[in-house]
Amino acid sequence: MFAKGLRLMLLAAKQLVRHKVRTVLTLCGVASGMFLYTAVQTMQHSLDKATRMRAADTTLVVYRENRFCPETSRLPEFYEEEIRRIPGVREVIPIKVTVNNCGASLDVITFRGVPQNRLARYAPEIKIVDGAYEKWLTRDDGALVGKQLATRRGLQPGDAFEAAGVRVVVCGIIDSPLPQDNSVAYVHLAFLQQASRHGLGVVTQFNVRVNASEDLNPVAAAIDARFRSETDPTITQPEKAFLAQTAGELIDLIGFTRWIGLGAVLAVLGLIGNAVLLVVRGRVCENAVLQTVGFPGTAVGFVVLCEGVLLGLFGSGIGAGLATAFLVWRPFTFGNEGQTIALVPDASLFVNGVGLALLLGMLASLWPAWVAMRKPIVESLRT
Amino acid sequence: MNDHDDILIRCHELTKHYRRGDRTVTPLQALDLLVSRGEYLALMGPSGSGKTTLLNLVAGIDSPSEGKLEVCGQDLTQLSRGRLARWRAHHVGYIFQLYHLVPVLTAFENVELPLLLDDLSRRERRERVESTLALVGLDDRMHHFPRELSGGQEQRVAIARALVGSPELLVADEPTGDLDREAADAVLGLLRSLSREYGKTIVMVTHDPRAAQAADRILHLEKGRLLEQEGA
Ligand SMILES: Nc1ncnc2c1ncn2[C@@H]1O[C@H](COP(=O)(O)OP(=O)(O)OP(=O)(O)O)[C@@H](O)[C@H]1O
Ligand SMILES: [Mg+2]
Repeated sequence: MFAKGLRLMLLAAKQLVRHKVRTVLTLCGVASGMFLYTAVQTMQHSLDKATRMRAADTTLVVYRENRFCPETSRLPEFYEEEIRRIPGVREVIPIKVTVNNCGASLDVITFRGVPQNRLARYAPEIKIVDGAYEKWLTRDDGALVGKQLATRRGLQPGDAFEAAGVRVVVCGIIDSPLPQDNSVAYVHLAFLQQASRHGLGVVTQFNVRVNASEDLNPVAAAIDARFRSETDPTITQPEKAFLAQTAGELIDLIGFTRWIGLGAVLAVLGLIGNAVLLVVRGRVCENAVLQTVGFPGTAVGFVVLCEGVLLGLFGSGIGAGLATAFLVWRPFTFGNEGQTIALVPDASLFVNGVGLALLLGMLASLWPAWVAMRKPIVESLRT
Repeated sequence: MNDHDDILIRCHELTKHYRRGDRTVTPLQALDLLVSRGEYLALMGPSGSGKTTLLNLVAGIDSPSEGKLEVCGQDLTQLSRGRLARWRAHHVGYIFQLYHLVPVLTAFENVELPLLLDDLSRRERRERVESTLALVGLDDRMHHFPRELSGGQEQRVAIARALVGSPELLVADEPTGDLDREAADAVLGLLRSLSREYGKTIVMVTHDPRAAQAADRILHLEKGRLLEQEGA
């Protein structure tokens, strides 16, 4: 049974391979559609990963109330000790954020100034993939650059680069399970404070790690209550909610691309359906001959179905593969109001894309296959 | 009893109607026909007399409207579409006037088609295809595509395809209708040797009296009815 199916699939493959022009044109169309679809899915997926709360999340962001841009959110650095005393807080780190572009942009460079001796304690998940952490500790203008940013800018340890009026030297490339870390550059807090016009003692935000995710809301409430009557009141939210809020416009924009993805899927469906239907129309007599020599109608239908599936499979393999390769080679980072969302391609997206196209190919060729297998043999032979 | 076993095709009051719009066409009208095992039968008759229709019924690719039809001991009206298809693969080989080879498949692959759904190993299939192509004299054209073959060669590939499943019955619808004299003679010679040396039962439709002379018996169809005439 399996062997026979394989033989029929081989027959379908011969039909495709030996009608080169037709097949290549169809594959190009399917690949374009699936390229678009995979790119859109990567956006959606990256956005979702950055903004959707997960059970294991334990990070809070403390921002200046009613401020949405790192240029305008200013908090006194000494809040740190106050926050540390609140029950449920495991770790806290003051962060000064400087971005080269506060508006919506595709090429955002974000500097995060942190007390250099505390980064490892606050974020033990950050790994150095190139260069040396120790070097960064001792070098005032040193930077630890997220791997995505490094790829995008072609940076290696020892390189100097400048953005937003800040000039740094790359000491190490970092990789973190949190996508945010991979698209920023970590620098010394004092260095960044001096480089900006706000000066020492002023930070943009505090990142707080709580003991358990149940602590997120009570701790956030406690922090805001503590500073309510200060001159710089705070608003504290889980990191992902914070991102979802500050990058709201961006999220709307990316949300809209969902429709582009749907359009791409429908285009692929139509394209394969049309191609396979034309194939079947052009092979009426041939299919009748197959039935005459002993192919049951189901076998003829199966060959047609295989052609649709193979078109979907290879077209999407090419399209999704190119999209993934492109995003690896040229990583994009969406930014708005100083928040960045990196487009991180994912093997599961590739697999899903190919799986979807396989399904589309099958769906699109169901009707042509049915047409091919139901047509009475003698009628087809007379055409 | 012996007589019963020697009959390969048995048609009794075989009738076929086609509905065309609100008109009904009846290309075959209560036709009775017995064909013995090993017989070489030529069917002649004017255009539209129902020759192809009769061939299609006997080959199991069309179903009768009324009457009885038994081929190779099997009542064809009792088989489902799927079983009829598998029956065809092993009991009847169909040879068309226009060869009807699959253009994207080589001679070898075309001949292999009827075996594709059998439980044969790749090697067994290859041996059978090769020996059948050798039988029709085309073992040196095995990997040629139909467009690289002459009409006569194409028809011989088509005959190999009809033969490869070892059917007892071959039906041919004007097999030489599209060939020049020389190629036609080669095909007719091949059919004759298949009948004489391999004992195949052959039903051949032809317009060419010369071609019909090769047969054991010639039948004339006229408006869906038979007029018999002994062959040479
Ligand atoms: N599928 C069909 N639908 C409708 N009418 C049909 C069909 N098949 C055959 N006919 C009609 O039945 C009659 C006999 O057709 P058939 O093809 O059997 O003739 P034939 O003897 O083979 O003729 P020719 O020598 O021209 O090939 C014709 O009038 C034809 O129009
Ligand atoms: Mg005819």
